[in-house]
Amino acid sequence: MEVRDALRAEVLELVGRGARAPADEEGFERLALEVFRYQFAEAEPYRRFCERRGRTPDSVARWTEIPAVPTAAFKAAPLVCGDPGDVEVVFRTSGTTQGPENRGAHHVRDLALYEASALVNFQGHVLPDGARLPMLVLGPTLDSAPDSSLTWMLERVRREFGANGSAHFADADGLRLVELQAALAESEAGARPVALLGTAAAFAHLLEAMDERGRRFRLPPGSRIMETGGFKRRGREIPREEFYKMLVDGLGLSAFYCVAEYGMTEMCSQFYDNVLRERARGRSPALRYKVVPPWVRTQVVDPETLEPCAEGRVGLLRHLDLANLDSVAAIQTDDLGVAGVGGFELLGRAAGAELRGCSIAMDQWLNAQR
Amino acid sequence: MAERAALDAFWMPEQPRQAAGPFGDSGLEVRERAFGPGHIPMRIPTFTPHTLRELLAGLRQKRADLLAERPVIDIIETIGRAARRLTTPGEQYYDELAGILPELTGYSRPMIEIGLERMGAGWKADGLRAALEDEFGVLEVLDDFQPRPTGGMQRAFGPPLTVHVFSGNIPGVSVSSLIRALCVKSASFGKTAAGEPYFAVCFARALAEEDAELASCLAVGYWPGGSEDLEAVAFSEAGAVIAYGSDEAVGDIACRVPPRVRFLGYPNRVGAALVSRNALSRKAARQLAENAARDVVTFDQQGCVSPHTIYIEAGGAVSPLEYAEYLAEALDGLSREIPRGAMTPGESALIHQLRAHAEIRGATVLASEQGTEWTVIVEERAQFEPSPLNRVIQVRSVDDLGEAVSALDKVGAHLQTVAIAGKGDQVKALAGQLGAVGATRVVPIGEAAWPTPHWHHDGRFQFMDLVRFVDLETGP
Repeated sequence: MEVRDALRAEVLELVGRGARAPADEEGFERLALEVFRYQFAEAEPYRRFCERRGRTPDSVARWTEIPAVPTAAFKAAPLVCGDPGDVEVVFRTSGTTQGPENRGAHHVRDLALYEASALVNFQGHVLPDGARLPMLVLGPTLDSAPDSSLTWMLERVRREFGANGSAHFADADGLRLVELQAALAESEAGARPVALLGTAAAFAHLLEAMDERGRRFRLPPGSRIMETGGFKRRGREIPREEFYKMLVDGLGLSAFYCVAEYGMTEMCSQFYDNVLRERARGRSPALRYKVVPPWVRTQVVDPETLEPCAEGRVGLLRHLDLANLDSVAAIQTDDLGVAGVGGFELLGRAAGAELRGCSIAMDQWLNAQR
Repeated sequence: MAERAALDAFWMPEQPRQAAGPFGDSGLEVRERAFGPGHIPMRIPTFTPHTLRELLAGLRQKRADLLAERPVIDIIETIGRAARRLTTPGEQYYDELAGILPELTGYSRPMIEIGLERMGAGWKADGLRAALEDEFGVLEVLDDFQPRPTGGMQRAFGPPLTVHVFSGNIPGVSVSSLIRALCVKSASFGKTAAGEPYFAVCFARALAEEDAELASCLAVGYWPGGSEDLEAVAFSEAGAVIAYGSDEAVGDIACRVPPRVRFLGYPNRVGAALVSRNALSRKAARQLAENAARDVVTFDQQGCVSPHTIYIEAGGAVSPLEYAEYLAEALDGLSREIPRGAMTPGESALIHQLRAHAEIRGATVLASEQGTEWTVIVEERAQFEPSPLNRVIQVRSVDDLGEAVSALDKVGAHLQTVAIAGKGDQVKALAGQLGAVGATRVVPIGEAAWPTPHWHHDGRFQFMDLVRFVDLETGP
């Protein structure tokens, strides 16, 4: 385990340099290849996956050549280094549409890595100005959703950075919208800025509840939002710009203070919008994109061949996350995006990939035939 | 590159007087929009409930004047001549369709050519006549009263107007549907799908060149599916509505068709294949794999007849894994002969995800080297698994084909075609069991993709379901 402990220390050191540390390409490559060697040796199903592609630690020379596992594979078997029983937590995908047996599982052996990555990255992009704010979480506490990585992260962030008055506004029965609006009114009246954290769907519920009562808030300057996931209304996916316009309208925030998070159960690290980070440096960014932190790399690949796309082309996102030290670092998603300087633009799930590639049940198949 | 001239994706009994703008007496306007992966500019009429109602009333009138009293034999011979022009290489309409359908549907040109020729076989006068006789006994029951074996007489009347709601997955199904209505002397309005808005239009044009009177009983147009105001008019003016599409789409239409109007829905269906160990001799195995590959490749599994899972009975001279390898070789060969159609990023992504899931759970995955052209997933379990389509086939090794029948029982009403390779009485016995669990068509492997003109689509009559019989009793 000396190898693993040394790698762990190196990853923690890299994360510890912060979300804004300058990229060290050589250092990243060396570390990524060593992590690959470790995962190849210790994660049996991943090793077989690599061998069938003729990629081994001895043949792979660049981080870009490390075989990326499609996210659906996390539904088929535990992808973890060592004994799957010997982990600190198993995070599971929501599986709302797929039934319990079809949920993806991310076995996390070492929450310290998850935590380090999540906190550093959140701080760098949601609290770049060092603000200490009451955190109003539009989601439950970990007790009621123990296997949700998002819930875990939000609770961890709240505990670490939340000022007095932080609270969760959801339980098993759903969002507590009356209390949440009372908290917003209090913030407004007391001129005390707050941070609102939650899924886009939760924000949609909040906006709807406000609409019903004709209520709008003018949250004090410095207030901010971190939201994640898609936002549907009457079956239609609402474009982000439209969603932000509704948030800006309803809550009285600048769109620079609306930060989207993009994460997935299968990854210990997340991505955040550049906007607030740049705002904190006095800029007004014209372009909203996801920032890739120094311990992660993202490629855009051709959906058909999975070969890297030409610059500026839309393709599937593939991430290499060193914080996934004890599972699989290289993850192939079915999310579409375009690469740009410093990060990528997220365009959402590729239409038609909704089945999330696994054993398809007949009713799912029927739902997908439109 | 020069800008392409827009094609007319409609057929109206009164043709527009101008290229664009208000046309004819109907007051319809046309507008342009792009269709298909090739972004083909096409002109489509803009209906209002009022103009649509007038058009449909006009069609019923034409039918009364020009179609109701035509001898059915005359109708099918005219159809046969018109269809020939769509499906014979070298003919103008064939060449146009072979050129444009790949860009409209995404299917490769070889696939479209095969489709045109094979479908054409079903639209010949002989085939139509046989299909009608298969259902009615005598053709002339559509023309006049005919004696019944039990005494008395009977005559069959088709609906004055049939409204068809087409789906875009298989080009040509729209034409079969229009032909079906013409054969029972019904006027037709065909509402095309964005996925294939042109084939039915070409059929109407070819028919007009053979016989303008017959073609004046047809109209074809497009509007976005679910346009409730237009569909409310169309469904209430019709004597019968035929709808093709997903369970969701067909179910939605069914709810909106008035009870007095006959409704025939063709929702999602899936197919499977069964290979008995007796049929798996060394000699036959390769050919059987080649045949199965053709069933998979045809229209990239988008059809209701396409196989999703193939069950191989273990214990034959060739093992299920070997058979799967033959199948993979055949799919690889066919990927050059009949390339797969255009893929969306999501369709490709799904296949990569599915392959990885199968691989990690321990299945054997045989797959095209580059990209997602074809995929064979081999496993030892009986569960039926629907394919994400586009040439992904599950091969299941079972100890006994009875396990396959039990697995297909769970598919229930969605099961349609089952292709079988077996010996002698075994096929009939299996067909009986499959019929009992819901299958409506059992065919030799390799024949799944091309139903005969006289098939019972989803187990029902093609023509008889459209007509109304009139009994003429002569008294004791």
